Amino acid sequence: MHATDKKEDSPGAKLPKLALVGNPNVGKSVIFGALTGRYATVSNYPGTTVEVSRGPARLKGTDIELIDSPGINSLVPMSEDEQVTRDILLDEEITSVLQVLDSKNIRRGLLITIQLLEMGLPLTLALNMYDEAGERGISINLKGFSDALNLNVIPTIATQGWNLDKIQNVLTLNRVTKSTLKYPKDIEAAIDSIAELLPETRISRRSIAMMILSGDSTIDGWLKKNLDTESIEKIWSINAAMESRYSEPVGYLINRIRLTAADKLLAKVITKKEPSGSKFAGFIGNISMHPVWGIPLLLVVLYLMYQFVGVLGAGYAVDFVEEFIFGRFVNPWSRRVVEYVLPSGLIHDLIVGQYGIITMAFTYAIAIVMPIVSFFFIFFSILEDSGYLPRLAIMVDKIFRLMGLNGKAVLPMVLGLGCDTMATMTTRILETRKERIIVTLLLALGVPCSAQLGVILGMLSSISLMATVVWMFSVITIIFIVGFLSSKIVPGDTSDFIMEVPPMRIPMMKNVILKTIVRVEWYLKEALPLFVLGTLVLFILDRTQALSALEVVTGPLVVGFLGLPIEATEAFIVGFLRRDYGAAGLLSLQRAGMLDAVQSVVSLVTITLFVPCIANMFIIIKERGLATALIITAFIFPFAIFAGGVLNFILRSLGVTF
Amino acid sequence: MGQDTAVEEVLEFIWSERESGRSSVAALLEIEEVKKEADRSTLDAMCADGLITVESDTVTLTNTGESLAREAIRRHRLAERLLTEVLAMDEESMEKNACSFEHTLTPEVAESICTLIGHPPTCPHGLPIPKGNCCLSTRSEISPLVNPLDRLKVGETGRIIFIVSKQHTRLDKLSTLGIVPGSVVRVHQKRPAFVLQHGETTLALDIDIVKEIYVKTVN
Repeated sequence: MHATDKKEDSPGAKLPKLALVGNPNVGKSVIFGALTGRYATVSNYPGTTVEVSRGPARLKGTDIELIDSPGINSLVPMSEDEQVTRDILLDEEITSVLQVLDSKNIRRGLLITIQLLEMGLPLTLALNMYDEAGERGISINLKGFSDALNLNVIPTIATQGWNLDKIQNVLTLNRVTKSTLKYPKDIEAAIDSIAELLPETRISRRSIAMMILSGDSTIDGWLKKNLDTESIEKIWSINAAMESRYSEPVGYLINRIRLTAADKLLAKVITKKEPSGSKFAGFIGNISMHPVWGIPLLLVVLYLMYQFVGVLGAGYAVDFVEEFIFGRFVNPWSRRVVEYVLPSGLIHDLIVGQYGIITMAFTYAIAIVMPIVSFFFIFFSILEDSGYLPRLAIMVDKIFRLMGLNGKAVLPMVLGLGCDTMATMTTRILETRKERIIVTLLLALGVPCSAQLGVILGMLSSISLMATVVWMFSVITIIFIVGFLSSKIVPGDTSDFIMEVPPMRIPMMKNVILKTIVRVEWYLKEALPLFVLGTLVLFILDRTQALSALEVVTGPLVVGFLGLPIEATEAFIVGFLRRDYGAAGLLSLQRAGMLDAVQSVVSLVTITLFVPCIANMFIIIKERGLATALIITAFIFPFAIFAGGVLNFILRSLGVTF
Repeated sequence: MGQDTAVEEVLEFIWSERESGRSSVAALLEIEEVKKEADRSTLDAMCADGLITVESDTVTLTNTGESLAREAIRRHRLAERLLTEVLAMDEESMEKNACSFEHTLTPEVAESICTLIGHPPTCPHGLPIPKGNCCLSTRSEISPLVNPLDRLKVGETGRIIFIVSKQHTRLDKLSTLGIVPGSVVRVHQKRPAFVLQHGETTLALDIDIVKEIYVKTVN
């Protein structure tokens, strides 16, 4: 959730580059973290890394640049994140590659190994999660494996740091081995004739020819950059001739031959016995995607979240920090200090006044939101590392179909509960443009981020569980309706639901704590400046009397239509900067006794649906383009108010009091 | 080659030409396999027998011709499926065998083969296999050797014999996950989404995809 610091250290001097490549969820980021000493987000689901992280590392006295890449199942990309990895190998001066394999899933790793060999890159293999293979009764003849491939093979358990010291030698261990795998005669002939037309490159021309024959459309850009139109046309005509010769896709035939070769190799070096070890995690894993038991389990997870984040975090922890630390010490003391220096006036009010940087921005950001965010991230990290989230995709696939999505889209949606900005980047794991647009819209519209969710749960838990249920039901219904309608409007296709389900694991406390700390730090860095900015805006609006003017204008809407007190306008104004700031404003209104139960629920639904925060806007523009970003915002803002008004009307008419 | 064989071959080619939207007599007689066994006089004889009608350069099947061609195509494509997928013959020798094999199949044998390999909807080249009576009746007297994966019960294991999919990206994607003919998969659950176990990989799939994967049960 903090993948933004990637540019800072591409060092001027050319260091050797070592790329970490492998299937999704095999532990590349753990190895990256161990070798560079910096944290890369690690979770238990495929697609945690959607863009490249780079960092300096020192291996046996040699400085190198280490590159962590998004997981791939093939070097013929099927989604944007896979293309990122292929492009690194295609375009960058990679000195060598460390392929990370899942020891219990070597067959699929070998499919990539063969492609890397065909590229002619210096290569070493790390057989990671070596312990899990053992627990499942899989034993690997390392010597035989290494000999058969003519590559060095290092067994590792990255999460425990086992054998990672051996990776230090990777620069001397790596070897260039030619793949001896042959394909049917006519495919070989086509490979040769395409390869002849290609320019000299760092990776073998044969491998690029095979990507083209495998139906890789993403390589067209590279061809246009490196070749004249005539040769490109020739290449595509050779490709078209091959396609018409076979009824099955050529890429599929090629992969079948590669898998057959992998099977032959594995038959010699792998023996399987009955598995040993604990079955508990597997049991929970099965329950979590069970058609009947999966639903109660989901409710239990949600209830635990409500208790942990809402009651414990937003209730007790916020009470302690806000009322005790800030209420008794920070605010009175800073008031005293400021009053001593500047008894009154502009600066005094700016720091400790009603819209003061300490009394409002810091109090909201640190005393209210931070404890909640911390509790949320602890809970969320445990969920992420357990492997529960991808299982949710199985439960919701059918419902998501109705929104023009498949179950896989639940991953970015749930990650949105952490941070909508990062989740919008994760939409890259989705395969079609239609799916990416719909998920981006739904994230911006209705998925509250951690800070906002925490504040909301805090407010709701002080009313009743019923209020929480009404709020959740309203938001989910709206997400569903908007998703359903946009699936009819947004053109394009929904991709197949083919998703890998990682094994359930018991989360490691070390990673959970580390991840929480990194994320809280990221939150403070990103949110605090915006909270200060929002406070400044309110301060200026207040001083220039614009605030009361604005309140007069928006009065009919806020008071009349939404049925809220006029002070709620302030919360919505800062909500333009960050929705959680807006929610925090509502929370303090509620604490001051200015919102009754219905008003709380209505204002919370409105702020949940409110415009995406500034950071999220920037990412939407970057990922989807300015036009889409503007359309999304233009839809969301009036829609949020409208939905809040409708809910207000319904609750009032039914006389609900919670 | 006997006369009947030649007629059957010609009927088959008229059928497959029609599948690609062509019906030219001249083009038909230019096809290598047709040239070998038939000429204009064969067509004339077929006209006389009421199997086809020829109008200037356009050839059309009559009702009788249609049903004969349909049976012949069905036998040919079933033979191809049987030879490639079940007996694992390569493309070249498969074609040779299928061509001579089909003419010796009686309708009963064709039905048995069709049932045995699970009423495949297409031939290995992706062309549709016309349905026979056996495909239409719900009761199966011979339990099929090859079934769509979704017929397996939870916990059962099957070896993939063939995957019929018109969508190339689907086949590509499945192959990168190791799902190809020859792979062994176990059905972990069927609802709310289909989950299968392949080695140590657990995959969740749409039911539409699962129906395209044909497996032979293994114990």
